[in-house]
Amino acid sequence: MSGANPGAIVTVPAIAVVDEVRDEIEDVRTFYFSFEDPAVGRDFRVKSGQFIMCTVFGAGEFAVSLPFSPENDRPHISVRRVGKVTRALHELRAGDKIGVRGPFGNGFPFESIKGKNVIYVAGGIGLIPLRSSIVHVLQHRPDFGRIILIYGSKSSRELMYRDMIEQWKATEGFETYFTIDRPEPGWTGPVGFVHTMVRPADVPVENTVAFVCGPPLMFNSVIKELLAAGIKDEAIMSTLERHMKCGIGKCQHCAIGRTLVCTDGPVYTYKQIKTLGEQI
Amino acid sequence: MYIMPKSQARALAAALAEEYDLYGPVLREASGEPTFDRVEDPAAIRLEAAIPYNPPKSVVFPQAERVLSYRYDREAKKAVFVRDDLVRPKALVGLRACDLSGLLCLDRFYLGQDYVDEFYRDHRKRMFIVANTCVRPFPQCFCVCTDSGPAPREGFDVALTAAGDDYLVEAGSEKGQALTRRLGLKDAGPGAAARRAAIVDASIASFDGAAMENKAWISRVMNRITTGFISNDVWEYIGDQCFECGACSFVCPTCSCFNVEDIDSREGRTDRVRSWDSCSYEGYTRMAGEHNPRRPVEDRRNKRFFCKLSYSQSKKYLRPGCVGCGRCNRVCPGDIGIANVVTYIRREITKAGAK
Repeated sequence: MSGANPGAIVTVPAIAVVDEVRDEIEDVRTFYFSFEDPAVGRDFRVKSGQFIMCTVFGAGEFAVSLPFSPENDRPHISVRRVGKVTRALHELRAGDKIGVRGPFGNGFPFESIKGKNVIYVAGGIGLIPLRSSIVHVLQHRPDFGRIILIYGSKSSRELMYRDMIEQWKATEGFETYFTIDRPEPGWTGPVGFVHTMVRPADVPVENTVAFVCGPPLMFNSVIKELLAAGIKDEAIMSTLERHMKCGIGKCQHCAIGRTLVCTDGPVYTYKQIKTLGEQI
Repeated sequence: MYIMPKSQARALAAALAEEYDLYGPVLREASGEPTFDRVEDPAAIRLEAAIPYNPPKSVVFPQAERVLSYRYDREAKKAVFVRDDLVRPKALVGLRACDLSGLLCLDRFYLGQDYVDEFYRDHRKRMFIVANTCVRPFPQCFCVCTDSGPAPREGFDVALTAAGDDYLVEAGSEKGQALTRRLGLKDAGPGAAARRAAIVDASIASFDGAAMENKAWISRVMNRITTGFISNDVWEYIGDQCFECGACSFVCPTCSCFNVEDIDSREGRTDRVRSWDSCSYEGYTRMAGEHNPRRPVEDRRNKRFFCKLSYSQSKKYLRPGCVGCGRCNRVCPGDIGIANVVTYIRREITKAGAK
């Protein structure tokens, strides 16, 4: 699945402008950006599921997944404030600059899954990397079978992309399940961990692919449910995260088993994940 | 094949110094220890010195190096990146076969995978390599086990083989050919290739028993490491002896992992610095937020040996990742250099076979 991405910005970051900063949930913000040089922006073509290396000037560079669709979607990243560089990113306001290298990585399959049922299962900020594929697949709705999203978080305050969720709920032909871990006043939807929604969703098994992303505990329970439903391990995909320094397969920090997340991933099938021999 | 008196080696280095920054084996003044370093005076190069303490990789992959810098004026919202010019023509004189093999591994890794590492490429282009056959092995050596010596086979511009008071000189490129002409070297005559072969054979024959005995075992151990048929006990035994000092990675001719940091310097400039890193360090895989997917020390040790001795990694290098220079064995305070690890795994295989 690996191979260099043609047109990727490899060595010297391209400078981009932060056009807008939006608060998502606690400690998570979305940064909309556009390239300073419009020609760079035109050549910057992404596949859903890819990532970039983002420079925060004076702080450093970090790897971050791309949540926007390759078609007709505003370029942005959604980032949790968790370490030195992401803390510095959160200080940025509209008009500030960032540096961008990429896009890197294999990305989610798109052409090869046309005609199939697509199941998305996300927990917490695991929705961020799946968003690009969800939006892209919905943009091509007639090309796919059933499209299902199961998304949950600890509480309603911790659901990502609230506006998008409202839009998705109203989208015809898109089966959505939103859940929170514990009941809370005003919440009328289902309550319970994400994996408990797999059975109620009556997921299709034949001709189906499932994309799963979320914290390890949630991931493992969801995988169990999907396998129990009869979905094959090669039809289940996830995107992995690792400490990364280069994005182009040289620094080796993201090595898992015999693969590198940056060039062989970040998207892996569960069948591959099982053979990596390391924790995910 | 050409021939030149040993006394002419200085003229060879001096000729290269006119066009290139010169690097080669020199002796530390205080300790007499051979190191591979930048050389100002061509006469300082010691072609007959033992394997240098450090491999030549720092020439193409410095221990710490500014690769980019940028200025960011937040008030004016203006950012400018500057790419450093790393292109200096370099001549590496007196490279041993193991180190040349190591350099070729780095080439294949940095230049030959999905992406080209442009910083490495800049260092590597416009380089002249004078390789040097080991006419006798040094105590730490096991290049015969890893198919990387004692004579250089490819990747050099000129290769020297000491023969009495002379060097037999082989040109490996146009550039090398031009140098032999410039130095006015004489043709070595019809028997030269056979003479060189005999010298190399004699060198191979004088490797000690341990190296020769391990020869067959390296491929067996590689098979085991690749297929994962090594018990956790063995990895734990090996991991328990690791001090996480990283020395093995730093002296390894093929270890190429790096860290990258943006460091504020004066005058509003920030430098992007890349520096050697080691998979034996606890922080190597630690992510922001303290999550570390790699388990304790045996997991990390296992990673290095996988990198040096597995088929899947060898595919990237087109040869084993270990070149048999023996440096890790020499520097490791925990006795888990590659040669010892091969011995530990070999012991396990033999034991299991005896059951």
